[in-house]
Amino acid sequence: MVKPETLHAVLNAKTVSVVGASSNPDKTGYQVLKNILDAGYQGRIYPINLKAESILDINCYPSLLDVPEDLDLVVIVVPAAAVPEVMQQAADKNARGAVIISGGFREIGNVELENEVMGIANAHDIAVIGPNCQGINYTPNKLCACWPLLTKRGGMAVIAQSGTIGATMGGWAEDEEIGFSALLALGNKSGVGEIELLDYFASDEETKVIALNIEGVKDGRAFIKTAKSALSKKPVVVLKPGRTRKGAEAAQSHTKSIAGSDKVFEAVCKQTGLIRAEGICEFYDYSKILSMLDAPLGRRMLVITSSGGSGILAADTAEDLGIELKQLSTDIKDRLKEILPNQCVVSNPLDLTGDATANRYMQALDVAITSEVIDCILVIFGDPVHKASDVVRDISSRTDKPIVVAFLGGGDVEKEEVLLMHQAGIPAFPTPERAVRAIGALLKKKNY
Amino acid sequence: MHKLIGKALADEYHLNEAEAWELFSDYGIPTPQHQLARSVEEALDAAKRIGYPVVMKIVSRNILHKSDAGGVEVNIMDDEGLSEAYHAIIENVLAYKSDAVIDGILVCEMLKGGLECIIGMTQDASFGPTLMFGLGGIFVEVLEDVSFRVLPLSKEDALSMIYEIKASSLLQGARGQVARDVDAMAELMLKVAIMIEDNPEIKELDINPCFVFEAGGGIMPVDARVML
Repeated sequence: MVKPETLHAVLNAKTVSVVGASSNPDKTGYQVLKNILDAGYQGRIYPINLKAESILDINCYPSLLDVPEDLDLVVIVVPAAAVPEVMQQAADKNARGAVIISGGFREIGNVELENEVMGIANAHDIAVIGPNCQGINYTPNKLCACWPLLTKRGGMAVIAQSGTIGATMGGWAEDEEIGFSALLALGNKSGVGEIELLDYFASDEETKVIALNIEGVKDGRAFIKTAKSALSKKPVVVLKPGRTRKGAEAAQSHTKSIAGSDKVFEAVCKQTGLIRAEGICEFYDYSKILSMLDAPLGRRMLVITSSGGSGILAADTAEDLGIELKQLSTDIKDRLKEILPNQCVVSNPLDLTGDATANRYMQALDVAITSEVIDCILVIFGDPVHKASDVVRDISSRTDKPIVVAFLGGGDVEKEEVLLMHQAGIPAFPTPERAVRAIGALLKKKNY
Repeated sequence: MHKLIGKALADEYHLNEAEAWELFSDYGIPTPQHQLARSVEEALDAAKRIGYPVVMKIVSRNILHKSDAGGVEVNIMDDEGLSEAYHAIIENVLAYKSDAVIDGILVCEMLKGGLECIIGMTQDASFGPTLMFGLGGIFVEVLEDVSFRVLPLSKEDALSMIYEIKASSLLQGARGQVARDVDAMAELMLKVAIMIEDNPEIKELDINPCFVFEAGGGIMPVDARVML
């Protein structure tokens, strides 16, 4: 088991070396070094390359042994056969951790080579991430030792067996200005696995939600124990593909994962409180909302919309998930009728109709938040509503009820307003169904 | 490890039904009245003690599916019927498997009036012992209406397994049905879970059916298989 203090030293590394750094932009050894630089890493960087004097204007060293100081983290991109020697050198430089991006180990049958590398690492307490992985990214340390280049700091820690799923989560979080605390690709999981990482990020103050993508669980009992402990501190969303027979077969050949029954894993989620996502989209949406909002006090939701059709979709999804759309009290309805134009449908969903402006939303929400029969509010902007973000920002500052937005059909205004909402800590989703499903996940969040 | 499991492992066979009931009793799990008989005379004595009607079942380490082998006779009303059934079972079983080792015939009380449930345990490749719950008959076999939880099991887990199945309203007394003793069922599941935790040699277990009676009336396992 890798100790939390070792992981802490690795993620907060003050010195990083890239073994196999390259001056060829097509090589991973170039891309990783460039991303570390471009992310604004503040520590010292030591590229290792036998021939080059410098790459990207940074001095190179022929081997790790030539680096003038001890190393916290060694990123390895050399061919598999050379990794044992590099690991020995890393040990000589008192490295705390090694990210082995190189493939060519257990996943293609080279079990002995992998065991040799792990033997050296374990003998020297070096935390290994990988091999055969896409690297690590820890935004509080501006350490992007992976690809693509992603830097937006936020509250989501993504632990992914699949490098692509991890990078996708990070990419969306960056585009939407939600951000993430960490992206870790596990690859063959020979050193650091989900157990240590769940445990670590449960206590990491930067992290508000843990997003865990796994294809199999090695030690189910240890997993349950760690998951329960992590869930006592913060929510954990899990994406475990391989639900079906064919999917399970694919998982088995992808990472040689042990495939237990999916029904049993589903039961484990219920027993522990793990919030399960079916696909990448839900994985992202659930992690996003959970990193931004606290759970509503109950299951009663008010839908306010400018799009009747979108309101119906929200109502459908809500009913599927057991989220209630209660009717507002007569008193509140009367007050709404007084201030709203005749064409508005004063019900739940509350339809402000297609010509609704930010001002009309503001007036309606002002009254609605005083209702005692609602626990959360879904605001659907179904048109290019200018200054929509001003409305929800103002309203959410005046109520404890979570405000969630679905913004669609809004063109460039939508793009701009959604980012402003995210900056203000209000999650916005591109469809009513996604917004309501995210609220469903939020309802599973405990009070921390 | 329970002594019966040690003995069965040494002899390389699974627990027979009489042994399964003994194991259950040691864990406070209710069992139907039963007695192992090795002759018609012993069977008559057993029936006299238990009281008619009775059920008779083959006990053989070579026969896992007793009904398939013609090894079960139910609703036996008197001494004459019992004597006939005894011989019929032996004949059927030997016709099914001529070299079957017959350890005897189990005479059990004939239970009535319970709703049939199934409790099962399998070993999951990742999570180890996992309990399954469902209603008997078509609910499990055709509709696959079952729930799972991994061990260790809490009372809350056991109750949520019962409430999770789609047909759970049948247990709770929907549409003119009587409400069943859900609490006793949850207690049974907890005891089974403890028994499994104590005896990791158990690879698979089935209580099928297990009768659950009206609220307050408890539960009663009717047939059990314990595989090592």
